[in-house]
Amino acid sequence: MRNISAAMQDIILGAGTRRPDYRVYAWDPATVTISEVVSATGVLDDPAPVDLTPYVSDASWTDRQLTFTLVDPAGLFHPDFGEFRHCLKDGAILRLLEGDETVPEVDWVITFTGQVHGQIGWKQSRSTGQITSRVTVFGRGEPQAYKRRKVTSREYTVGTDIGIALYDMCQTFMGLTAKEMRIPFTLGRQFKHKTNQLSQVTPWDGICSLLEVVCYQPFFDGEGKLSYVNKSLHRPTACLFEDGDRIKELEVPERSQDTINKVTVTFLDSQLERVDGPYQKLGQAQVTTGFFSMHETLETWWSEDHKQRADGTSMKVIKSVNSGILPVGTERYTQVDEFHGRIEVDISVWVPILATVMIATYLAAAYKPDKTTSNSTNLTPIEIPVQVGPSGTGAAFVSPGMLQVSEIPMTGWTISVGRVIQALALISILLIMMSIGSAQYEVWGTPYDFAYLEKKSVAIEDGLDYWLENNLDIKNDFIGTHDQSDIIAMTELTWQKCLSMPRKVSVTDDPRLEPGDIIGLPDGRKLVIIALSKSIKRGEIPTLLIEGCKVLTA
Amino acid sequence: MSIRQIIDWAIEDSRSQMTGTIASEFYQYFDYACHWVWACDVDLGEQLAVLRCVPVAANNRELIYAEQGRAVTLSRLNNGKWVITGLAKSLNSTVHYIFMSFTDDTYQVLRKQLRGYIIRPLSYGELGTLVPPYGYGVLPYGAQGRFDAEGNFLEIVESY
Repeated sequence: MRNISAAMQDIILGAGTRRPDYRVYAWDPATVTISEVVSATGVLDDPAPVDLTPYVSDASWTDRQLTFTLVDPAGLFHPDFGEFRHCLKDGAILRLLEGDETVPEVDWVITFTGQVHGQIGWKQSRSTGQITSRVTVFGRGEPQAYKRRKVTSREYTVGTDIGIALYDMCQTFMGLTAKEMRIPFTLGRQFKHKTNQLSQVTPWDGICSLLEVVCYQPFFDGEGKLSYVNKSLHRPTACLFEDGDRIKELEVPERSQDTINKVTVTFLDSQLERVDGPYQKLGQAQVTTGFFSMHETLETWWSEDHKQRADGTSMKVIKSVNSGILPVGTERYTQVDEFHGRIEVDISVWVPILATVMIATYLAAAYKPDKTTSNSTNLTPIEIPVQVGPSGTGAAFVSPGMLQVSEIPMTGWTISVGRVIQALALISILLIMMSIGSAQYEVWGTPYDFAYLEKKSVAIEDGLDYWLENNLDIKNDFIGTHDQSDIIAMTELTWQKCLSMPRKVSVTDDPRLEPGDIIGLPDGRKLVIIALSKSIKRGEIPTLLIEGCKVLTA
Repeated sequence: MSIRQIIDWAIEDSRSQMTGTIASEFYQYFDYACHWVWACDVDLGEQLAVLRCVPVAANNRELIYAEQGRAVTLSRLNNGKWVITGLAKSLNSTVHYIFMSFTDDTYQVLRKQLRGYIIRPLSYGELGTLVPPYGYGVLPYGAQGRFDAEGNFLEIVESY
């Protein structure tokens, strides 16, 4: 609701007889910018505007557009040769002030500020001699200037108030100054993500996205300042029509459109969330080890770039270090951190000791002399029974008796004692060597990563069948939590339900009202204003047509 | 209905991309063009069902490896079939549902609910305890289960 002077307020509320009046001022865009006109307090007088009021008739006003007929018999505003043609050329700045004859002009209300786009219409008829010109002036938010070019904003860190980004956006890409904004500098909502940036969006879409977080909708008010409509309808009425005598007409227009009954708000959660992958093989390792190595350490990473995280890891022994003949060691696995684990293979102490001892034994045994079965070095007569044959037969016979022979010293069976010991040592060494082998291991576990999840809040009418849903999608990455998105979804659904119940009220003009205001009706119901329009005629109190929607309360 | 809504529906109908989560092992099947193609089931999330036998787009160099649970992008071909065309940057997650009722002049928030589910292989413990008659052997190793947003078991997902 506009703030107006006490004098104007008294007049509007019926303290005296209303004698409505208006002024239309125009500035040459070559001498002043719309920003300067809007930033000025009251009506900018340097450069002085051209007062179009005497030439204006049949003015038609809406909160977005001003249209009037220009009575120009002298051709002052002819687009080619008119003396004041520069005041209505492309980009010309126009302002409408509404007030009362009994109130000084400084107290009047600026109800429209806009610009001419293109050229005005101007017609002269030879037969009738009639000169007519129709002028349409558009509000600041209506042209495509803020909706065409795509821009990229600077980055904002976590904790920055959204209002700061909004002001940056407006000042950098829309040319607005702080005086041209009625939106608070701090909106009470901070960026939740680490880095925040508007990228390749039009400035208007950008500020819409930023204001969406607080359920606001931007618009340019009558003074040409950037303001907002709060979609949350939990606020007091701006104007209460108690007696009803100011209300001229109340209309419930027909509306036969499908209503939005489901609102889906999609956002990027500001908290990194753990996302598990399926249980799988994360890494593998293999080692060749044995008596020559007391300890092997194998680092196993879950990914080549050492960035994959995993949890609940365990080792699968594909081929053990003990798969040889002898169990020669132990294998164990520990997860060092979330990125890698360590496999440690310990060879038993006795293995290298045994190998060393056996080699020493083998060597020592080489010096060990052989043994024979003879133990004596002296003659030991042994008696051999002999028989001698009869003479003359050619055969020699030894007569029966005993023959004494002696064993040759140091003769007998040779026993290589040293070789036997060497063989034993060799067997041991070979056993140990046979136990050398390649061990293979796999590490399995659950890989995970941290990610910003895309989450949703859905506000939906209860008891709705799936095929009856009429969904409105809102996607906004500046929303960071479910709490925020829940509120936005509920507010938007309530707003949409309100929009489905339009009302039209004709009242005696009240320049205080503007879009977004809530008005109270005599029956206690409330309407939120969506659009305003009226026809302005000299000396006549205009009838304000309020297009609004019924307010639903909790 | 307004023209805007009709246009919105048309845009929605012509939507050619969506995101899903791989809900099965990859397998091969023999397509209508007499080719063996790799395919898998894709969970589209929320109220949408699991899309079966979604082939991996041919000549896709981006999709080299994707296991169950990974978010993928599906694209619609001219003939209306969906194919997996790449890995998705975002993952479908759980959804807050707020049920509201509207009367003449008032509205009311009736209840809030956390919705959404995940599909994952059943653990060793779950294999023997989820489906009667209980005990190991009832469910095959590798069976998939559908769980709600709070981790409660919903059903066994039939696998092909």
